[in-house]
Amino acid sequence: MQEFQSTNDYVASEELMASVNIAMALQKPLLIKGEPGTGKTELARAVAQAMGKELIIWNIKSTTKAQDGLYIYDTIQRLYDGQFGEKGVDDIAQYIKLGKLGEAFDKDEQVVLLIDEIDKADLEFPNDLLWELDRMEFYINETKRTVKAKHRPIVIITSNAEKELPDAFLRRCIFHYIDFPSKELMEQIVKVHFPDVEDNLLKAAMDVFYDIRNIHDIRKKPSTSELIDWVNALQLGGIPTAKIRSTLPFIGVVVKKDEDLELVKKGGLS
Amino acid sequence: MFLTFFETLRAKGVHVTLGEFLDLQEALDKGLCGSSITQFYYVARMILVKTETDYDKFDMAFEECFKAAERETEIGAQMLRWLDKSEMLELAHEEARNHLNQTEDLQIDKDDVEEKFKQRLKDQNEEHNGGSFWIGTMGKTSFGNMGGNVGGVRVGGQTGYQSAFSVVGARKYRDFRDDRVMDNRQFQLAFRRLRQFSANLDIPESELDIDRTIDKTCSQGGVLSIQMKKPRKNAVKLMLLMDSGGTMIPYSSLLNDLFQAVNKSNHYKDVKCYYFHNCIYSHLYKTPECENGDWVETEWLFRNADSDYKVIIVGDAAMAPEELYSDSGNYRGPNGGLSGYEWLKLVKRHYKKVVWLNPKMAPGRSPWREAETACKELFPMYKLTVAGLNKAMYELMKPQK
Repeated sequence: MQEFQSTNDYVASEELMASVNIAMALQKPLLIKGEPGTGKTELARAVAQAMGKELIIWNIKSTTKAQDGLYIYDTIQRLYDGQFGEKGVDDIAQYIKLGKLGEAFDKDEQVVLLIDEIDKADLEFPNDLLWELDRMEFYINETKRTVKAKHRPIVIITSNAEKELPDAFLRRCIFHYIDFPSKELMEQIVKVHFPDVEDNLLKAAMDVFYDIRNIHDIRKKPSTSELIDWVNALQLGGIPTAKIRSTLPFIGVVVKKDEDLELVKKGGLS
Repeated sequence: MFLTFFETLRAKGVHVTLGEFLDLQEALDKGLCGSSITQFYYVARMILVKTETDYDKFDMAFEECFKAAERETEIGAQMLRWLDKSEMLELAHEEARNHLNQTEDLQIDKDDVEEKFKQRLKDQNEEHNGGSFWIGTMGKTSFGNMGGNVGGVRVGGQTGYQSAFSVVGARKYRDFRDDRVMDNRQFQLAFRRLRQFSANLDIPESELDIDRTIDKTCSQGGVLSIQMKKPRKNAVKLMLLMDSGGTMIPYSSLLNDLFQAVNKSNHYKDVKCYYFHNCIYSHLYKTPECENGDWVETEWLFRNADSDYKVIIVGDAAMAPEELYSDSGNYRGPNGGLSGYEWLKLVKRHYKKVVWLNPKMAPGRSPWREAETACKELFPMYKLTVAGLNKAMYELMKPQK
């Protein structure tokens, strides 16, 4: 069996890699939670790349319905076409468009399906997908056709924990919580993005970054992706290392809230 | 296999189902755990635990069941079976206790053990960062409330994986625990009752307007013309005022649930949340700690949050009479020259819809609880339960008399 490993531009912890491999072996969806900016979405990309499979992304929004992922029956188009007796109006199948989940089932090869930010959707959303994710098939009422996965897709689901997910759904998943990276892992991660980053600059930036995260009453903790942006800005700006802590250049990249900014500037950083 | 582990997990409050446990067996059969207890730890956690808030409970259960194996980084199938027996577990605990006594090199009494145990826990955290460390463990209780079956056992550092017992020992998921009494999904569902649809919002037209479509199509002599309209959206604005006084402490997890439920309901137009200490006076606090200075003026709130806000006051309404009626009492924070009762009347006057949720409301009339009775006269009061919340939501949505 193929196993997932860290790729050139995605550094995964052993536990994370193991969780992907377990989920594949047990053929269950992998549910990934973690602070924003810890690379939940990137994981799916990395898995697809490492395994040489196509990635299908289903981005969930607050208005997304489970049905949207299966198929959409374009009745309006059919209505218009019907007016002028266009060819093929009586073929309903022509107006059935598969959603992302349907697309993933219908592929001739195994794909990686990312259901991104499942918690954005309605409370009932995950429940509506139980059968489909369990059996990897669904039925199109209008055409009396059953779409069944030819190859069980590798399903990766991310959640920012904005809403609690129903138990019945959770029971069917493999769960992994991405811890905030330790300094060592963080260094690796930044270096994957900027292989030539100067060690001193990186160290100074990371020290400030972790200090900000440790400020007790900070409202929004800065995340990995914000550190990466900041290191990039510092490099482009050619800021001398010694000045990073004293003048906090481009700090707006890391700290986004007014209150936090004040806190950091007022010397929350000791 | 590992039925004891299953039972321990459930006893610790991790709601593992049989299905999940069978999944774990399948993983074992497929050899996904390899032959290391550390890998077993991670695989079991991925399959059995579905929220990071339960990681800590899982750690405790894992430790209780498999503590004896912690010096073994590699264990064979034989060993796993051996671990499965509970009487051996007891023996292992015994051994660990002896081990402690030896290393401490003297006979010690319980207090002493506790003291050392605390020290050990502290040391361990410090050393943990250093790289090689000792692990003091909490598990089956032998020594009073600390629950300390104490052993200091060196765990060999592994590369890559963080060893299971170093994770367990560090208890790094302790902060995630929530120990919630009630699943707040029920609360969230109750809050969905607060809906007042309005189509005057700034959103794309994504719904078929049947009436206008028919009109337009007819006026074009039957040539179809599809008309769309904006879907109707919830226009409810919600304000939550929560009591954070000392008498509310027993209910903090309940309040937390309520707060989470409101916070996670993203279908409101706006949600405001403020705190008060025992009774509402001239200032409302921004945080539950109610620190003076970190507040807004109640009058500012009246000015900035119009009367359409639906107000939910959460509190036990157990003010002392002087807290409610005196205008010069010794309160936390200023009162602007008015008594608490006057302030409550102002709230009532300003907002069209106010309900009070009380976690320990007395049933019916209860004249001995003077403050509660007074508040009940001002606002409709409901007990803070799922049923009470549902009634309160109904009250908030009732048309104005």
